[in-house]
Amino acid sequence: MTEPILKVNSVTKCFGGLTAVDDVSFSVEKGEIVGLIGPNGAGKTTLFNVISGYYAPTKGSVVFQGNDISGKPPYHLAGVGIGRTFQVVKPFAGLTVLENVTIASFLKHPKKADAERHAWQVLETTGLADRAHLSAAGLTLAGRKRLEISKALALDPSFLLLDEVVAGLNPTEADRTVELIMKLKAQGLTILIVEHIMRVIMNISDRLVVLNFGKKIAEGTPAEVSSDPHVVQAYFGEEAA
Amino acid sequence: MKTSRGAAILAIITAALLILPLVVHDTFVLRVLTEGIMWIGLAIAFDVIAGYTGYLNFGHGAFFGIGAYTIGILMMQAHLPFWVALPLGGVAAALTALIAGIPTLRLKGAYFAIATWALSRAIQQLALNVEFTGGPDGMRLEAFLNPLFFYYLMLITVGAIFLVLWYLLERAPFGLKLKAIREDEEGAKALGLNPTMLKMQSFILSAIPTGILGGIYAYWITFIDPSSTLGDLVSDQAVVMVVFGGMGTLFGPALGAILIFAFKTIFWAYLSDFQLLYLIILGALIAISVIFIPNGLWGTLVKRKAVARPQEKPEPASEPAALSAVAVPEEGN
Amino acid sequence: MMELLPQALTDGILLGGIYITIAIAFSLTYGVMHVIDFAVGEWIMFGAFTGYYLNKWTGLDPFIFLPVIFVIYFGVGYLVQPVIHRVLSGTKGNPFLMGLVFTFGLAIMFRGLALTAFGFYSNSIPSAFSEGSFNLDSIGLTVTIPTVRLMGLAYAVAITLILHYLLKKTNFGLGVRALAQHKDAAGLMGVNAKRTGSYVYGIYVGISAMTGVLLGCILSIGAQMGNEYTIFAFFVVVLAGMGYLAGVPWAALLLGLVQSIFMIYFNPSHTLLAVFVILYIILLISPRGLFGKGV
Ligand SMILES: Nc1ncnc2c1ncn2[C@@H]1O[C@H](COP(=O)(O)OP(=O)(O)O)[C@@H](O)[C@H]1O
Ligand SMILES: [Mg+2]
Repeated sequence: MTEPILKVNSVTKCFGGLTAVDDVSFSVEKGEIVGLIGPNGAGKTTLFNVISGYYAPTKGSVVFQGNDISGKPPYHLAGVGIGRTFQVVKPFAGLTVLENVTIASFLKHPKKADAERHAWQVLETTGLADRAHLSAAGLTLAGRKRLEISKALALDPSFLLLDEVVAGLNPTEADRTVELIMKLKAQGLTILIVEHIMRVIMNISDRLVVLNFGKKIAEGTPAEVSSDPHVVQAYFGEEAA
Repeated sequence: MKTSRGAAILAIITAALLILPLVVHDTFVLRVLTEGIMWIGLAIAFDVIAGYTGYLNFGHGAFFGIGAYTIGILMMQAHLPFWVALPLGGVAAALTALIAGIPTLRLKGAYFAIATWALSRAIQQLALNVEFTGGPDGMRLEAFLNPLFFYYLMLITVGAIFLVLWYLLERAPFGLKLKAIREDEEGAKALGLNPTMLKMQSFILSAIPTGILGGIYAYWITFIDPSSTLGDLVSDQAVVMVVFGGMGTLFGPALGAILIFAFKTIFWAYLSDFQLLYLIILGALIAISVIFIPNGLWGTLVKRKAVARPQEKPEPASEPAALSAVAVPEEGN
Repeated sequence: MMELLPQALTDGILLGGIYITIAIAFSLTYGVMHVIDFAVGEWIMFGAFTGYYLNKWTGLDPFIFLPVIFVIYFGVGYLVQPVIHRVLSGTKGNPFLMGLVFTFGLAIMFRGLALTAFGFYSNSIPSAFSEGSFNLDSIGLTVTIPTVRLMGLAYAVAITLILHYLLKKTNFGLGVRALAQHKDAAGLMGVNAKRTGSYVYGIYVGISAMTGVLLGCILSIGAQMGNEYTIFAFFVVVLAGMGYLAGVPWAALLLGLVQSIFMIYFNPSHTLLAVFVILYIILLISPRGLFGKGV
């Protein structure tokens, strides 16, 4: 078997006295979609922030394509192929949609004309091309989530971190985003995704990692995980209740 | 099409400014024009860091004064020719920006505003208290009294500054990257941008032309002292011009510079006994601009449409067929 | 020169004590409104001149009408704050930048107004306490403490205690602290951000003005004094760590010491330079203040 693209080795992240991520280990193989699930406050976003370089792990390490990247700044990680979205979307509000995506395209296309052309291609893939010249501040929530994905994709990443890109969308919009994710997988992208909506995460993930209070409590295929008693209690139990 | 019209207007203005001295021989007018052009340069340079990058430098005047003093000292004490000293004025300003930027540009904007303002006050104190600047008495430069020379030198320098900044900020990727920093520094990091590095480049880019203009000013006016070149008026006027004219563009600050400088000239010509009133008006104008035209004159009048277009329904779908496979246009919600 | 040291230290502590009042109020305002007030020195200057003229007209001791000055300037601040609030909650442009620019514009305007009204000369405010002084010869120290400085310290302690009480023991204080920590959550808790902001800004302007009167009695007043005190206020909050109130007293005392040491041992006009150099070094090695607790 080949080397996993991402290895999370006993990562712990503390904020003062609070341990948001507690000794979590797992790995992601090339071409997989791995779902990261867990109740609110379980530490999913924090783990994303560690992987994408926003926080240095308090303990443990993150290995990407064989290199230890723990503590490396986010702009460095974007350069080695890690793209991410933000749960709390971060559009450049004063700029147009096209400009937003062009900025991300500069990473691989230093010339402005090339970057713009590339940004158009991305916008066409994500379905925002018709709004390219609008101010990013004027987009609906669905539009902003899509813009998040567009910006991450414009980096031409090999590994994508998606933080709740479906939550908050209506069913039609959600289906379109799921379609988009499946298409990206078909193109060979490796994806780690956080999502609350079970219908979505169970369908698209090859494997799931479950967090609760910062700890990994289960890992496996959607079928294995959904029959795991710990998970049922910690997570589905809560939903069912 | 719009840009080409803009370019045509600019070309006409430039041509007019180039031939103007052939028609107008009044030295007062020439002097006013020279200084007015200088202020355009100072305002657009200020806007690189303030408007494009979103970091307020309340001590912009320090770069101007440092340029002026560098040229003064190099010419009078090291006996360097003007053309050798002038670029070094830009270098001195760049070094100051580097030194001031290292501790502050990693931090939030409030620190930067405080530190740059405090730095400019400290540099003025320094100039007042050391020997080689002439202290409070200032410094007299070798007189080269050729108004026409300085008019053209200023015009060409500011023209060059404008073109370089226009290329870097409006044409090259650099300008968009700065705007990304301005809009969301954390988000920009995820896209491969190093904010500290970009801010530093922006700050230096803002400092160099300012230092050079200070150098030209010193040689032109032939006398510099801590209150004229390092006082707060230079910074204060730069802030007014840019805020009133419109931040984050090149034309806004230029417009602001022209209007404010014209006002100042008329005011000081007719009401020279009330120079303090000018200070009050400057302050009031800043406050009023902020409240009523936060996008400045340019942003309010010219670019109004582009700024915050409310988005209700998607524009008519004129999308290429290629994307319909995945992307169904969202219905308005 | 060593025999001057006790005097320098005493002066510094007494002066620093007074700075604590301004710095706490200034830091509090930053915590609640998230904007740096560039006009802080000008509020101090206005207060000082109001004290100067009230004293001239009534002949009463400036210490007597400190409460009057507080009330006047509390009112002024209370009325100015909604404008700042409006700028900060604007949707056009960048509200944070605009807030900074706005207070910067206010400072310029105030300076112009003061220079127009009061001219360029400097003065001091006479007080009955200005003459007397205490001598510590009896305990073997060559230290003279002017009564007015001692009164200044008493004032500073009183103000600090009142602020401490307000913040820690009242509902108002709870709201202020909630606002300083979590802007959004505070709103959910029913804290009226606008009203609380107005009170805090009013208190800050009132305290700055009162302290201006004291500084006018102890040192001097002039229409251009604002600049210096604005730098001092910045120095204290950056040294303390922005928004970290507990660091403020120490930073203020340090400022008082730097100032008095420069007055006695070096050239007083180098004080500002020294203050800047310290500020620079702190920003370089510990940008979150002496205690690393700033935001
Ligand atoms: N910057 C931070 N500072 C302090 N605590 C934080 C910070 N970010 C997250 N937390 C805390 O860490 C825990 C995990 O949060 P998060 O990773 O956002 O959870 P999830 O994304 O799974 O909902 C929560 O208790 C949250 O309050
Ligand atoms: Mg989350």
